[in-house]
Amino acid sequence: MSAMSSTGAAGAWSYRVGPWFAAFGPRVTVLLPESQRDQVVGVWSLVDGGAGFDDVLDALLASGLSRLPGFVLVSTDEGPTRVLLRGAGVSAILKSDADEVAIDGSASGTWVERSVDGVTSLSVALAADDADESSEAGAEQPATDFTVVTGLVRVSRIDRPPYVEPAAAEPAAAEEPAAAAVADVPADEGTPESLDLSAGLPADLSADAEPTPLADDAAPAELADVAESAEASPVLAGDEPAIDEPAVAVAEESSPLDEAAPFEDSMAVDNAPAPLDEPALMDEPGPFAAASAEPELEMPTDGDPLTDPMPPAPTPAPAPTDWVTPWDSPPPAPEAPGVPEAPGSSESSESSEPSEPAMADEPGGLTEEMPAPGADPMVDNAPAPAGETEVAPSPYAPPPPAGDAPGVDLPPPPLPVGSWEPVGGPPLPPPAESPAAPAADSGMVDAPSAAPASDAVAKLMISDGQQVLVDRVILIGRAPEARRFTSTEQPHLVTVPSRLHEISSTHVEVRPGTGADQGAAVVTDMGSTNGTVLVQPGLGPEDLKPGIAVQLVPGAIINLGDGVTIQVTRP
Amino acid sequence: MTRVDLEYGAATHVGLVRTDNEDAHLTVPPVFVVADGMGGHDAGDVASSFVVEEFARLADEGLDAASAARTVAAALDAVHTRIDEFDAEQQAAGDPFFSTGTTAVAAVLVADVDAPYWLVANLGDSRAYRFAAGELVQVTVDHSLVQELVDAGTIEADDAPDHPDSHIVTRALGGPVHHEPDLFTVPAEESGRILLCSDGVNGMLAHDDIARILGEHPDPATAADEVVAAAVAAGGRDNATAVVVDVVGLTREEPHVADVQRSATKQETGAHP
Repeated sequence: MSAMSSTGAAGAWSYRVGPWFAAFGPRVTVLLPESQRDQVVGVWSLVDGGAGFDDVLDALLASGLSRLPGFVLVSTDEGPTRVLLRGAGVSAILKSDADEVAIDGSASGTWVERSVDGVTSLSVALAADDADESSEAGAEQPATDFTVVTGLVRVSRIDRPPYVEPAAAEPAAAEEPAAAAVADVPADEGTPESLDLSAGLPADLSADAEPTPLADDAAPAELADVAESAEASPVLAGDEPAIDEPAVAVAEESSPLDEAAPFEDSMAVDNAPAPLDEPALMDEPGPFAAASAEPELEMPTDGDPLTDPMPPAPTPAPAPTDWVTPWDSPPPAPEAPGVPEAPGSSESSESSEPSEPAMADEPGGLTEEMPAPGADPMVDNAPAPAGETEVAPSPYAPPPPAGDAPGVDLPPPPLPVGSWEPVGGPPLPPPAESPAAPAADSGMVDAPSAAPASDAVAKLMISDGQQVLVDRVILIGRAPEARRFTSTEQPHLVTVPSRLHEISSTHVEVRPGTGADQGAAVVTDMGSTNGTVLVQPGLGPEDLKPGIAVQLVPGAIINLGDGVTIQVTRP
Repeated sequence: MTRVDLEYGAATHVGLVRTDNEDAHLTVPPVFVVADGMGGHDAGDVASSFVVEEFARLADEGLDAASAARTVAAALDAVHTRIDEFDAEQQAAGDPFFSTGTTAVAAVLVADVDAPYWLVANLGDSRAYRFAAGELVQVTVDHSLVQELVDAGTIEADDAPDHPDSHIVTRALGGPVHHEPDLFTVPAEESGRILLCSDGVNGMLAHDDIARILGEHPDPATAADEVVAAAVAAGGRDNATAVVVDVVGLTREEPHVADVQRSATKQETGAHP
């Protein structure tokens, strides 16, 4: 049902590369300036989770309007299209059959909101000036419009339906072939996923491949609406099954990557040595560049452009796992080598994905930066930069230390992490995993439909083999104790091994978030002696401050020391 | 199933000021309780005896990990209900303002799990402490006006014992509102010793003094006696009751209490080292 109701979101967007972050979700789309980078991961989690207009707005304003210089929130739910803008240089144009409404975010000290019925096209433009460091990436990029359905990208402008320039047909056509090729691959892989939704992929894919992708695509699916205006069709297309979206997103995404690839190749050579630099860096470009370059080297088998980009991504992710805290030098080493491969394939892809979203920014950005490939920690553990892929798996692999049954754990673990498809293109690899993949993917498409029935907001996969649903307060430590709770909210105590006593008796708490963290899990260091390191997808290691809760994104890894890590996945 | 052996002892004293001892306690493994019938209330000894009776029933019926918290909370609520009924009887008998009450602190060992733990519940200002390796840590948080002042930062924790309103309890069994108890868990393997006591003990003895006494007496019964005796010797302004429980069999891996008598005590404020 949810899928149907969200049909409005089925229409694809197009975007131009730029400094702003854009989170395209099933119900709402949020744009944030580059300065709000810290907020992006949380917002994406919310948006991708199917949150509605009001929930997202609450989250955006949680820390105060004054701290948010600009933003755009667009509801693509049923009913009238709602657009909320804030900030200088932020403008939108909504066209309906009867009217054309122009909105300027600088027109109000707070924000400007409009609600328009029967919108046939919507365009939001963001002044490049606003961006802080921004614009290099955007500036260099040609004014190419990439298509996206759901995902996290960086933009300077978004259009729905996808922007089609009269003359632009040619460039599009050129790209199309690549997209088409990609599309084929995804289709095969994607089939398992598609099953849940329905069989629509092939058609959609083919459509995508076509030169005038967006408009055409929508047209077949759509009926009368399409006929009215080619451009409008996408919006109307919302009625189309949600199924189409994933496929489209993939295909579209891939195309940009492909384009970037050429650039990256050259880059890759140069970069190769560089990898060591900041793996942790969130910079979007880094991941892709790395991915693009590496994929070719490592991933030759796949050969598909889509797959290639994916592999590289893993590298960033690995850093976390491999990454060794000062105190747990011994355990980590074994992990990396041991588990790498088995879990690695699935895990690596997943792990990579998480990182990608953040980094996944437009190709342009990617090419510029390529440091991401190898993290220092990684380097230590891993034999060489080349070994990166192996390392990546390790994150999940943590089990080895526990020694219990890593193998057993691995299968289920499926790192829903794959959910990080935000970027859109990357998601493909995960499909390989049977069980987990569908859920994650569905999440992308339509959050609601996929969600399990339980109240759990996340699942913790502990490296000793334990799996814990976060449906209440979870206290984790060497000998955890719970303080001051009531009989109706008894915390779940999870004891983890700590041979070296590096882990405190009650080390961290993970609980379902409230308020702005609603729907996500939050982690709090309980004043542990040796501290806790958190690695969120696409971000560098972060030392938790005792008593300060931090929202967890699927794919996050919590390192307690003593070789014990906790991977956060979707429930 | 993990087998846990417990050794325990208890002591109580009316003190040097009061004429009646309204404290009550229960030591029926795996259930241990101290209740402080509220001074200033009518028949506080009856109220505290309700606590003992209800927990004795709980000990008899047994409890499992899955429902321990609810079971303990239900027992406390049953006490409150009996107090309500008792109040009603007394009021019907001609005392329109009759109202009694009691505190309760209970420690129940939950052993049917991989890592046995103490489930501790409290309502009021009777306390549970854990003592291991020479370190005494207060487990419960008083439901008292003074504690609220400390929490609010109005007064320093060190000043709390001497505060003129230190006897005012903000949550207890008895009265119109059925408060939820606060619950805590303490891993059995790390809690070499559990101390439950009424405020006649911790109100008369400094934290370090309690730690020192517990460290000096490996036998739990002797330790309980000595703690109460020290409280009386320090002034005995209130009934003083102490229950001391040692977990044996799970503590072998830990340094034995008697081997570590350094009184390196500190008060834990919430952080878990």
